Amino acid sequence: MDASQVSQVTEMMYALRNPAGVPTYPIIFIGLGVLTFALHILFVQLMLGTSAITLYGAFNSNPYWRRLGAAMLEIAKVSVSVAIVVGVAPLLFVQVVYDPHWYTSNVLSANWVIGFIIILILAYWAMYYFYFVNGKNQDKTVQPTSRWAMILSLVLMLVVGFIMHSLTSQILHPELWKEWYIQNGVLDYSGSALHAYNPWRFAFFISLAVPVAGGMLVTYRRFKMVREDADHDYLNWAAEVGKKWIKAGSVISTVLYVAWMMTLPETAGDFATSFWGIAGGIAVIFYAVWAQLRLKGEANFCSYMALPMALVVGLVVAISREMLRYGILNDFFHYDFMDYKVVMDWYSTGLFFLTFAIVGGSVLAYFLTIAWKTGQTVGVYTPSAAVNKMGTIAIWIMIIWMIQFFVVGFYIWAK
Amino acid sequence: MDLISLYPTWYEPMVGSGWVVALIATFHVLASHTSVGAALLFAYLSHKAYREDREDLLDFIKKYGLFLLVFTYVAGSITGPGIWYSTTVASPNGIGALIHSFVWKWATEWVFFVIEVVGVYMIVYLVGRVDKQTHMKISVIFGIASLATMVIIVGILSFMMVPGKEIWFEEGGYLNGFYGTNTFIQLGMRMAFMFTITAVVGGIVVAGIKDPEFKKEMARKLGWLGIISTLIGAALLQWYLTSVPDQALLVMENRLPEYFVPSIVAVLAGTLAYFIITMLRPQTLVQGFAGFMSVAILVAGLWPEETARESMRKPWVAGQYVYSNQVIGRDVPGMDIKSQLPIIEKVGILKAHPFTPEHLREVNDGNMIQAGEFIAMTYCSNCHSPSETGIRPLHRYFPDGVTQERMEKYVKGVLTTGNIAYMPKMPMLDSEVKALSAYLVMNNNSGPEATKVAIKQEVEARNRALAEKQAQDKVATLDLAQEVK
Repeated sequence: MDASQVSQVTEMMYALRNPAGVPTYPIIFIGLGVLTFALHILFVQLMLGTSAITLYGAFNSNPYWRRLGAAMLEIAKVSVSVAIVVGVAPLLFVQVVYDPHWYTSNVLSANWVIGFIIILILAYWAMYYFYFVNGKNQDKTVQPTSRWAMILSLVLMLVVGFIMHSLTSQILHPELWKEWYIQNGVLDYSGSALHAYNPWRFAFFISLAVPVAGGMLVTYRRFKMVREDADHDYLNWAAEVGKKWIKAGSVISTVLYVAWMMTLPETAGDFATSFWGIAGGIAVIFYAVWAQLRLKGEANFCSYMALPMALVVGLVVAISREMLRYGILNDFFHYDFMDYKVVMDWYSTGLFFLTFAIVGGSVLAYFLTIAWKTGQTVGVYTPSAAVNKMGTIAIWIMIIWMIQFFVVGFYIWAK
Repeated sequence: MDLISLYPTWYEPMVGSGWVVALIATFHVLASHTSVGAALLFAYLSHKAYREDREDLLDFIKKYGLFLLVFTYVAGSITGPGIWYSTTVASPNGIGALIHSFVWKWATEWVFFVIEVVGVYMIVYLVGRVDKQTHMKISVIFGIASLATMVIIVGILSFMMVPGKEIWFEEGGYLNGFYGTNTFIQLGMRMAFMFTITAVVGGIVVAGIKDPEFKKEMARKLGWLGIISTLIGAALLQWYLTSVPDQALLVMENRLPEYFVPSIVAVLAGTLAYFIITMLRPQTLVQGFAGFMSVAILVAGLWPEETARESMRKPWVAGQYVYSNQVIGRDVPGMDIKSQLPIIEKVGILKAHPFTPEHLREVNDGNMIQAGEFIAMTYCSNCHSPSETGIRPLHRYFPDGVTQERMEKYVKGVLTTGNIAYMPKMPMLDSEVKALSAYLVMNNNSGPEATKVAIKQEVEARNRALAEKQAQDKVATLDLAQEVK
């Protein structure tokens, strides 16, 4: 591309920006976007990995695998929910600072965007169907029925993953948007095609499901081993499988990461050999090294660290991914999200961070404490006075939030 | 270059992009309102179960909660972002306006959304696994979190119709855009409706209760909840209509389909009758009856209500400054937003649109129909489908055999001047008026297929001309090279 073509693309991207601007410094949206994407993709990988274990268990005659498959189905269905709800945040933040790119990419593949919604619902319902058909079996070593539903669910999840991968890839090619809009001289208003993808990039993110699921298995053993009714042979076996998955999976993912870096578009320049280009791959292989060094024997503390470590690895990868986007759009196409018009709004900015920290922090601390303790208790769990107090405080914080909403609202209304 | 923030157009010929948004939104409203209402109901029932030490109420929560988890939380949590997706592709500047003004509000809602999703699993799966007091606390938190998601989103929905306070246009500010009369009345109305739908959908679960006494108790509870909320909701609807702009009332009087009012009245009467019957004779409450009522409310109540709300905003799609065709049609000094109409008046829509292909930037005899189609897709297709079916098809608005001259007169005299109250002003150069008219006439008189063929012929003719020119250039270059030799 010559300079004049680049300059036309730059001008187009700037023209597409929303004239309302953004209510705080753009870097904050990018930071939150990266953080929430790392959380989102962790649960996506958890959902895919545990679904794969469920499926493997369903087709395996080994009673341990069948039990593990049934146990991981519980994780899978919660992970889908969490992946969806957490995924809302990066979806929100990307359209704040990269709205020209996200909206164009979506409109050009609109049918797939709508299809995404329907396919994801079907995938989730298929998983629940499998769960309801087999969930009643007390004996988890019995071969499950309706296995087609679980296969369908996993395949459809991969399809929605690919749609999202393609939409994200299209963002990186503003130079091709107009070409995609006009096919053989005729405008294509149908939105029926997915125009860009990189199989290595897609395979890399999907492959991380293997080490993440491995991390889940290690955590599973550690979490369940304290129960009075724990079957230690089975749990130890599950943890050993998990360790293998972390190590082998991380190596596979690193190879795929390298393949992705080797197939970056020319517009990415020398990103593959830059600090962040290398850091992403190092982080992934580091997970295998960490597992080799720290998950020996009982590893009582580090077993609980397996998933947080996966999150850290995912965070580094998420930063690399964001830096790649910035590298292409800023360094090559001169679109800098940092110069988005700021129409500062302190109230809504402050309200979000306070709600996130205080409301979110207090309630989730209470919820997760209850869930954690209940999972480790045989029979009915009755919380201690301190945990009870956490619940009361959380309720009051919620009530105070609601009061401030209406007090501020009525004040503004009456003003 | 004078470019404005217009994206490519997505055109769905069967139902139209507008209806796709409406379908997803309607389904989401059913799911989300049921979820929020049920969350508050659960908080009440769990509190009662704790105070009266009752297992049956917790069992009901578990059954209803599991049912909701699969049918409303799964579908609701996906169709929620699904509304973003569908509006992104159908109305990118409309959703962009909301996102850029209320991103933090949505982010705040997201915090409650996370609490809600974790909470629903805990409410369902911890029945019998934690003591009743703990379950009650979880339910109360869950109920408030669900309500918080609603109070937040209603402010944003209200902004779509009209910014909270008029002063927002002059001074901007999130609070002025968010809070207003319309916000609070709509919130009350939606909460009332939320309890109505909760009572109806809850009937599907109550129908499965085996113990006659408990079934009677729950049928009565839900019945009273439904009757009171339906009556309050109907009253608030009347009040709500006083809070919308005059323009919206004008559209409502003139443009809403004839079935709108009878449909709403019938669904209100039917809902009240349903609750009275199920309270008096709980044995009539079977899953089929409750399921039928849920679908009836969805089809005869929600669909007309959501589509009416969409229609009443016309010609705007968000905040009374973004037109339904994505053009910004009004200055908003408080946000330093400038109307894009002057730019279009100056250079024409084809040169102002960033995605206009090079060969369509100037209208000529060789691209007339294709340029006209591009303008129609940009200006018209969001509200009027150029196909036989779809949203308010264009062919319904023009007589058969309409002439080019008459069409040009209409386009120039009515559309470019913004003379129709509920339609955007659509500036065009004379050449663009001619192109749009040519397209509309052909589409109307010969149909979409013939128009496609005409565009194909234009493209082929241009390609031929280009090939000939390239060949001639090549010959000229060869001649020149021989002469030099």
